[in-house]
Amino acid sequence: NSRYQLSSLPLQILFYVNGIYYIFYFLVTLAMIVYKSQVFSYPDDFLARDLALLFIMAILEALRLYLGSKGNLTEEEAPLGLSLAVTLGSVVLSVYFLVWQTYVLKADVILNSVLLCAYGFESVLKVTAIAAFVS
Amino acid sequence: PPETRAAAWARPRSGPAPVTDVAKLCVCDLLVAQCDVNCCCDPDCSAADFSLFTTCSVPIVTGDSRLCTQKAATYSLDVEANPPERIFKLIDQVNPSVFCIHATNYEQALSFRSPEMPTSENFDLLLKRFGGAAFSAEPNSWNMNTDAQNPSDANETYRYEYGVPIQTADAFLRLPSPVVSSWCSDANPAAFLVNQATKCTRSVSVEKCGNIQAVSMLFYINSSILAVNITVQSIVLQSLNGMRTLLNGSDVLRLPVILDELCINIVLGVSYHITYTDAGEIIEAAASFVLGAITKEALSIQQSFDISFTQVNTKPVPLSGNPGYVVGLPLRAGFQPQGYPFPAEILFAALNTNKYSQLTILQSTSNQDCLAAQGARTPILFGYNMVSGCQLRITAAMKCQPLTQTLLDLLKGQSFPEYVASFGNSQAQDVLDWVPIIHLRTSEQSDNERIYNPFQSACQIPISLEIEVKWTKYGSLVNPQARIVNVTATITTTTLKQLRPGRERTIPVTSSVVFTDISSPAEPGYKAWPTINVKLPFDFFFPFV
Repeated sequence: NSRYQLSSLPLQILFYVNGIYYIFYFLVTLAMIVYKSQVFSYPDDFLARDLALLFIMAILEALRLYLGSKGNLTEEEAPLGLSLAVTLGSVVLSVYFLVWQTYVLKADVILNSVLLCAYGFESVLKVTAIAAFVS
Repeated sequence: PPETRAAAWARPRSGPAPVTDVAKLCVCDLLVAQCDVNCCCDPDCSAADFSLFTTCSVPIVTGDSRLCTQKAATYSLDVEANPPERIFKLIDQVNPSVFCIHATNYEQALSFRSPEMPTSENFDLLLKRFGGAAFSAEPNSWNMNTDAQNPSDANETYRYEYGVPIQTADAFLRLPSPVVSSWCSDANPAAFLVNQATKCTRSVSVEKCGNIQAVSMLFYINSSILAVNITVQSIVLQSLNGMRTLLNGSDVLRLPVILDELCINIVLGVSYHITYTDAGEIIEAAASFVLGAITKEALSIQQSFDISFTQVNTKPVPLSGNPGYVVGLPLRAGFQPQGYPFPAEILFAALNTNKYSQLTILQSTSNQDCLAAQGARTPILFGYNMVSGCQLRITAAMKCQPLTQTLLDLLKGQSFPEYVASFGNSQAQDVLDWVPIIHLRTSEQSDNERIYNPFQSACQIPISLEIEVKWTKYGSLVNPQARIVNVTATITTTTLKQLRPGRERTIPVTSSVVFTDISSPAEPGYKAWPTINVKLPFDFFFPFV
């Protein structure tokens, strides 16, 4: 069966799990920013910056998952390559939330490390899928 | 610590960095270069000192506990060892919560904001803001107020509330008062509706007579309270020996001048009277001055200042309670004018602040001779029973009638009132709120003596006046108000026996005031027990009734 089907099943599973995890990640990070703004001294410009980046990350993630899923299912390398490029942006944002955020709590560290691991696995699987589609 | 001081000098713009090394932080180290007792983190303490401690007042020093990992310095005393020794451990404290702060990218996250360090650029601004004896947290609000009251808007009225300093054209109305020592400080603002009276000392000299602003009348009436100018109500001149004379025509501004080696027209006292409306606006301001003179030897004078507020269209009558009498305040009394009982405006005459028109009794003086110390009277204060008296020396030459009159004047005073207010705030118009004084006369002698000497010329002289004020509690049980119900003045007379010439006799003359509480005690009321109201219907026993 795998001779005729080039789409990668593990990649698709990972996309699905990533989608659910990201929704959880987004809600939890948003709630924690609200918590931090109440408990700690959080100036308005820092708060605006963190919230803006979180929303940009959500948009990028949706785009990335859509492109990756479409590319994988239609066995085209172009959307998959584009998704890989967007993944780079998502990785940068995730690193921001891991290291350069105004207040980094332990929960932030856990969430972002899991997300980065997921990105890493996906990237590897995407590369192999692109290699499979091209050849 | 020296490292933070060095850091402070290196960065003149910001304050010193917070001390974050927990091993060096010691909150109980209060004495410099000395060992603080029971302070285990004190670097000045030696091992011998530690052996004398009983506990550690500061057992642990940590940073912000919300951080995930932080260094903590623990101090404890090992009492098992002999001698006891201090144990200092630097441990890593871990916060197990998942919401602990792992890192921050914002420097001022966990410390207080440092204040601005003064430099040559911002020094003037900081001095203006914080240089006075007191500064408010929001200096901008002050600026907005004075801008709004520019003299261009003279018709705009400014509403005052209790305690707000009275604004004048450039600053606010000042009432010099002693601050730390008894020397006058001109920075005390007068607050609205706060009656103040202050006395302070000012240094003067005859040479600088015209130069010292604060002893000249102009200083006190120069500033106008917004749209209202301060007028001069009266000027009293005080001579060097203390005698005061009221000046006729107080429109003239008298400035200090040097005359015959004296400096005259020095302000010794100012009394401000501010009239306000019930909307809180000041409509009139008047100042009464006491001007005096100083000699060359005088180095300082004592000035007294006071300010009082009166509402417009009211007369300033001090109340003795509202509504019930307050213990310690004088009884309010008055006369009934001629032409009563016309129900129109009835104004009692002696209702002014002159305390000698109140109900007064004789005041005992050190000189106990009644006839020598005439006129010393003290007002009767509610709730205070008083007894006073004097000794009367009767010689044979004294005649009965003049003596009787003198004693009556002595006991009752010049103007003994006819009515006493039943409440502390009784108004003159409410006639029913005033209690008439009942006069009684008793004789000291018993009836027997009078029967034995019916024909002797009875010269009865009054020797005692007893005023009995009966009062009751009125109003709610929680906050009862004192109300005077009855005032009785009893004069006791005695027979003056004719003396043989050359002899003299001393009799004591007493007057007393007694306050009696005739309020009936409150009776508790009980709710009635519920009764069973059973009534049989009309036709219960139908066939038989």
